[in-house]
Amino acid sequence: MSDLDAYRTKAAAWLESMVPAYGKEARKGLSEADDLALGRRYQRAKFDAGYAGINWPTEYGGQGLGHLEKVTFDGEEMKHGFPSFYFGISLGMPIPVLMQFGSDKEFVKERVLKALKGEEIWCQLFSEPSGGSDLAGLRTKADIDGNGWKINGQKIWTSWAQYSDYGVIVVRTDPNVPKHKGLTYFWVDMKAPGVTVRPIKLVGGDSHVNEVFFDDVKIGDDHRMSPVGGGFAVAIATLMIERYVATDSAGFGPHLDLFVDLAKDTELNGKPAIEDGRIRQQIARNYAMRNGLQSITARAMAMMQAGMVPGPEGSLNKLVAVRSRQKLSELAIDLQGSGGFAYDDHASQKENWTSSWINAPTGRIAGGSDETLLNTIAEKILGLPQDHRPDKGVPFNQIPA
Amino acid sequence: MSILYDEGQQAIATESRRVLEARVNKDELLPLLEVTGQFHNGFWTTAKEQGWTALALPEAYGGLDLGLVELGLIAHQAGRSLSGAPFLTGSFGAAKAIELYGSDEQKAKYLPSLASGETIGAIAFASGSNALPVLPSVTVTDNRLSGTKTGVAGGLAADIAVVYANGPGMPVLVIAELADVTRNAIDSFDNSRLYADLVFDATPVETLVLGGAARDAALHILALQAVIAAHEQTGGAEAMMEIARDYAVTRRAFGQVIGAFQSIKHRIAELYGFVELARANCIHAASREGQADFITAAAAARISATEAYDSASRDCVQIHGGMGVTWELGLHLHTRRARSLAIEQGNLLFWEDILVDRLTGEAA
Repeated sequence: MSDLDAYRTKAAAWLESMVPAYGKEARKGLSEADDLALGRRYQRAKFDAGYAGINWPTEYGGQGLGHLEKVTFDGEEMKHGFPSFYFGISLGMPIPVLMQFGSDKEFVKERVLKALKGEEIWCQLFSEPSGGSDLAGLRTKADIDGNGWKINGQKIWTSWAQYSDYGVIVVRTDPNVPKHKGLTYFWVDMKAPGVTVRPIKLVGGDSHVNEVFFDDVKIGDDHRMSPVGGGFAVAIATLMIERYVATDSAGFGPHLDLFVDLAKDTELNGKPAIEDGRIRQQIARNYAMRNGLQSITARAMAMMQAGMVPGPEGSLNKLVAVRSRQKLSELAIDLQGSGGFAYDDHASQKENWTSSWINAPTGRIAGGSDETLLNTIAEKILGLPQDHRPDKGVPFNQIPA
Repeated sequence: MSILYDEGQQAIATESRRVLEARVNKDELLPLLEVTGQFHNGFWTTAKEQGWTALALPEAYGGLDLGLVELGLIAHQAGRSLSGAPFLTGSFGAAKAIELYGSDEQKAKYLPSLASGETIGAIAFASGSNALPVLPSVTVTDNRLSGTKTGVAGGLAADIAVVYANGPGMPVLVIAELADVTRNAIDSFDNSRLYADLVFDATPVETLVLGGAARDAALHILALQAVIAAHEQTGGAEAMMEIARDYAVTRRAFGQVIGAFQSIKHRIAELYGFVELARANCIHAASREGQADFITAAAAARISATEAYDSASRDCVQIHGGMGVTWELGLHLHTRRARSLAIEQGNLLFWEDILVDRLTGEAA
């Protein structure tokens, strides 16, 4: 057994032992507040067991292990449906970027430790009503205010802002230069005067994303995490941190076995649906696609273990898996005919076809839309040219609205 | 078996690419489309010289004792360069059938010359639209084979064929020497595949497997070949993706290269996805030879490689506009090959059913 296999076995056993206290059954029927409280206890349990900050430096309370161990643990954890998603963004991007770019080391250490223990949550204030895929088109501004700054504007799609203690934010500090060059990166106290958080109810019924308004929010210059005008580079660094993430060939929807079971149990034209060619073709195509993604992931892991850099094909995972999950979920609902109308907005996207279907568009938009991912593949991997960009090189305040 | 290529394997990939790109070109392949019974001699001579015919056969019979991974790498390159004959897959299938199911005498008789390439082998399993019928239409009585096998790849040139027949009343896998067998050439859309209907008339045969195990054996051989064919398809798909990309970064319209239009660049990015999924499935399948899930892995490789080659050939032509459909540019060599390879060794429908049977536990 390799060291990594041993690590996996041990992690899997620990996760299994957490199921009674934090698993799906324990979470059933809880209000979001109670579920979050349970999540904080689960995060603390992870910290105590040495499964928080797995690939972070020990000086910040991490375990000092590699990406492989982290991806391995995440892959195992994903199987159980623990209440860990409240901390996904917080520990995924803002905290690592704080470790990398935060100037006051004592302050950083304190924040990191509290975040690792689930006591504090950080959010990432990037997207705006006028800039999602076009991040550098953002309009929220920070003006010089005495020795510090004053922020005005609006962010949107901010995950878990309603529970966040702090956030990292990119704002415009100079509208007179081209859009990428006028941005600066800060951290903000989400409880500061002038910060208003308004949850947005999504189609699936939940409200994990928010609008965040800034009205004359004053911060000191010690909140700054980039050179003035150098915020875009730190924003990109933030997005690059999560290169080695656990993937799911099911696109974070139900396992294909569940579709096979459904097809066996559903009657179509007087026979089990599993005997119907249309259904069989979809099963076969989806299996081949998912198996391909799993093989890409296995190869990336093997390369990392061998000290090599994985190929760029890992970028296909989200693009391919989520939209396939969307279509398969539609078919699964169709298959049930008039038995397929029921909807439960607490059902898990990984177990319930209707929940998987209605939430699938989020997966194709958040964290890089399908179209953005296709552009990235085309430009970065295949060497195709950038799109025509009328705003290129134009000072931000002269870009036609 | 590791899913990372080692140095020796990478060298096989590099060397086969160098040799085939130097020795096979479209100007020699295009005329082969317009005649029946001819293949690219340079390709086959190269395959023999380079030892590709011996690659995956046992050392005791003149082979090199390598396996699906290595032969797959050759096939990938043959797909990129458009192989000039179907014998790599055909002879490999026939040889594996004899190696796995034949007697010592049969192995000694056939394997050395299959390994050297002196003997060309073919597989004749299908009956029309059925890649592997429960009971085939050709029959064996008293070790003599009668009936017609349609559309046998390599059939116009093969010296021997491994035939799946009705034995009678139960399936049987036999070796038939083709010297005296009538071969009716099929004038096809991809003539260097040498398709023929083989008309057996009391042809003497030697039995490899008799009874229920014969169908399992035939499926296993088909799966081995399918993994090789999938590599070839992936190579072809990769070539078409790259040709499309190269055209898109040079051809200009409306004041810019056409690759800057999302309708073009996204199409090519999608092809990248197809190619990488197929490649990953091929590597996985080649590493699973001898394991319980090999048939499943082979089916997945075959399905994704067929999707990849069809999509890449379709879209590459589309991106080229009118030039794409000219005889001279030769993209149609790939368009044709995408279809011929999709049918040989069992079509998409066949492998989809095999795969689902495995997933639902309907097949043992």
